[in-house]
Amino acid sequence: MSDPPFDFGLKSFADFWWQAGKAAQQAQEDATRSFTEALKSTIRPAAQADLPVWPGAAVDNAELARASEALAELWKAATELSTGMAKSLAGAGNGLSGAKLDPTVEATFRAMADPRTWLAGAGGMDLVIGAVAQGPQLADLWNAERQQARVMQAWTEMRRRTLEHNAVVMQGWLGAARAFGEEIAGRTKKDGNSPDHKTTLALWAETANRVMLETQRSEPFLQTQAAMIRSGAEFRMAQREMAERWAAQFGFPTRTELDDVHRSLTELRREFRAFRRKHAERGAAPARKSEA
Amino acid sequence: MGEKALSPAEAVSTAAHALADAVSTGSKLLAGTELFSRIRDQDVQIATTPRDVVWRQDKVTLHHFRPLAERHVRIPVLITYGLIGRWTMTDLQDDRSLVRNLLNLGVDLYVVDWGNPSRADRYLTLDDYICSYLDACVTEVARQAGTDRVNLLGVCEGGVFTTAYAALEPERVNTMALTITPIDFHADAVENRPGHGFINIWTRALAPEDVDRLIEANGNLPGEFMGAVFSLMTPIRTMFKYNLDLLDVAGDENRLVNWLRMEKWIADRPDHPGEAAKQWLKELYQQNKLVKNQLELDGRRVDLSRITMPVLNVYAKDDHIIPPATSQALRSVVGAKEYEELALPGGHVGVFVGGKSQKLFAPAVMEFVRKHDGGAA
Repeated sequence: MSDPPFDFGLKSFADFWWQAGKAAQQAQEDATRSFTEALKSTIRPAAQADLPVWPGAAVDNAELARASEALAELWKAATELSTGMAKSLAGAGNGLSGAKLDPTVEATFRAMADPRTWLAGAGGMDLVIGAVAQGPQLADLWNAERQQARVMQAWTEMRRRTLEHNAVVMQGWLGAARAFGEEIAGRTKKDGNSPDHKTTLALWAETANRVMLETQRSEPFLQTQAAMIRSGAEFRMAQREMAERWAAQFGFPTRTELDDVHRSLTELRREFRAFRRKHAERGAAPARKSEA
Repeated sequence: MGEKALSPAEAVSTAAHALADAVSTGSKLLAGTELFSRIRDQDVQIATTPRDVVWRQDKVTLHHFRPLAERHVRIPVLITYGLIGRWTMTDLQDDRSLVRNLLNLGVDLYVVDWGNPSRADRYLTLDDYICSYLDACVTEVARQAGTDRVNLLGVCEGGVFTTAYAALEPERVNTMALTITPIDFHADAVENRPGHGFINIWTRALAPEDVDRLIEANGNLPGEFMGAVFSLMTPIRTMFKYNLDLLDVAGDENRLVNWLRMEKWIADRPDHPGEAAKQWLKELYQQNKLVKNQLELDGRRVDLSRITMPVLNVYAKDDHIIPPATSQALRSVVGAKEYEELALPGGHVGVFVGGKSQKLFAPAVMEFVRKHDGGAA
């Protein structure tokens, strides 16, 4: 088990798994931090008079903060739980054989119990929404006016909805972890031995799958996800409006104009196909009859 | 949707045990590392059965497969896949190919490829795809074969296209075979199995205006968006895919390349044209218009009772994307006197790549079309 290539290979997989979750969480943390800092620098006393121009912005920020706090609480609970799970998973390998588990295997188990991978794995929708919705970076927006504020509001709303959805996902994973913990404890109590790593891993996978499938059918999951999708679309539309204002200033074609062209082209093609079909039918009608 | 077609529960269990096995030996990783360094993307080919482009319009292409055996049916079969995913699933690899299996049985075979819709195609509708493009493909296939009618074989969303077309143009369809095709989009509630029919539930949770706004914002329904929804259907499998699944196949070149072929197919996710996506999500998934005979295309009502040609309805017993009841609903709404069902083992993709399904699927289609090949031309 200590053969370097094997060790390297498994470690690579463990790292890959770990990094996926880490990157997702880091991105979220960075986005929230940059938003907060940007907001602080913007709302200077001298600029307070500008605030009424951004209706609802303060309310949205408060909502965002509440959503962040809710997720942070869950995060704390998940981290504590995952620490116990990691011990349980890694310890299970030693249960029957008495042999110490390979460090890389232990690292894999630990990575699987990391709540960051839970959000990265099953909450992938928020990443997709973000990827689809994100055009220009927020840093580019601060010199604009009312339209930029709309983009900011839409971004705030999107982050809030994403956090709310992540909280629901996290609750699901916590439920899975608790169910798993109870099952492991029950089995250990029964015969005095903790299950081996194979059984433990299978149990975790089956428990988590069952609980997460239930979670995904729940109203909170579906509603928060729909809200996240809606807010992602609104953010993108707000970005487009602003980009089109700039494009119009410099004489560049806008998305709306291109859509108009595409609509016209589609309609023309449709008419052309219909015309060609009618023409072909007229020409082919006698031949078709003779074939029958 | 990995190398094997398993139910989510089976997949999870299999994947978990795969890691345990791999951990205990380590040999797979050694072999896998070596294989990974050697395999190139060009080694992973899909849809390799020889074929010729025989017709093209806008981005739509009609392919005619070259025969692999003596033809035993006169009237050709036209395979129609949907706009979610691509037809290449029917010809994934030499030994897991519905296309090859049908050709080897002597079927004259065509397939329509919808191409890669871009933002410029956002205003294409289901009317365009069914009443115009599919109609033109049927015309061309019939012209080439010298027949008035063709046999249609629709798959998933392409099965809905096929169904609607057969209802609108019954005199042009000799037989209709459907595979993993939703007809009653609300019948997921019949069995209500955990992990099954999530797309039905997910879509109904959206407000119609959410769908409109999503398309307005993105132009089309992005392929990666639908990919994320599919991933949600198998939460643990999604987490295990690039570690446990990979570990499971890493030591065996054939299995690894098979696995990579499936990855290649999954990665090839075309965007769904926006207006057609709105119809698909709202009029079908949400309002369930097809089974209610309320769907209208090109101003004509799609009345399923007009489907009077023989029908073969193939579904997968463990299909978590298209639950069997959503397909089986066809029986009670078509006007066909000859209606057959074939329940295949496995899941949505397993119909095409599962060992057991492969032995049953193509022979059943062949038998079906041969039985009705008599005085059709």
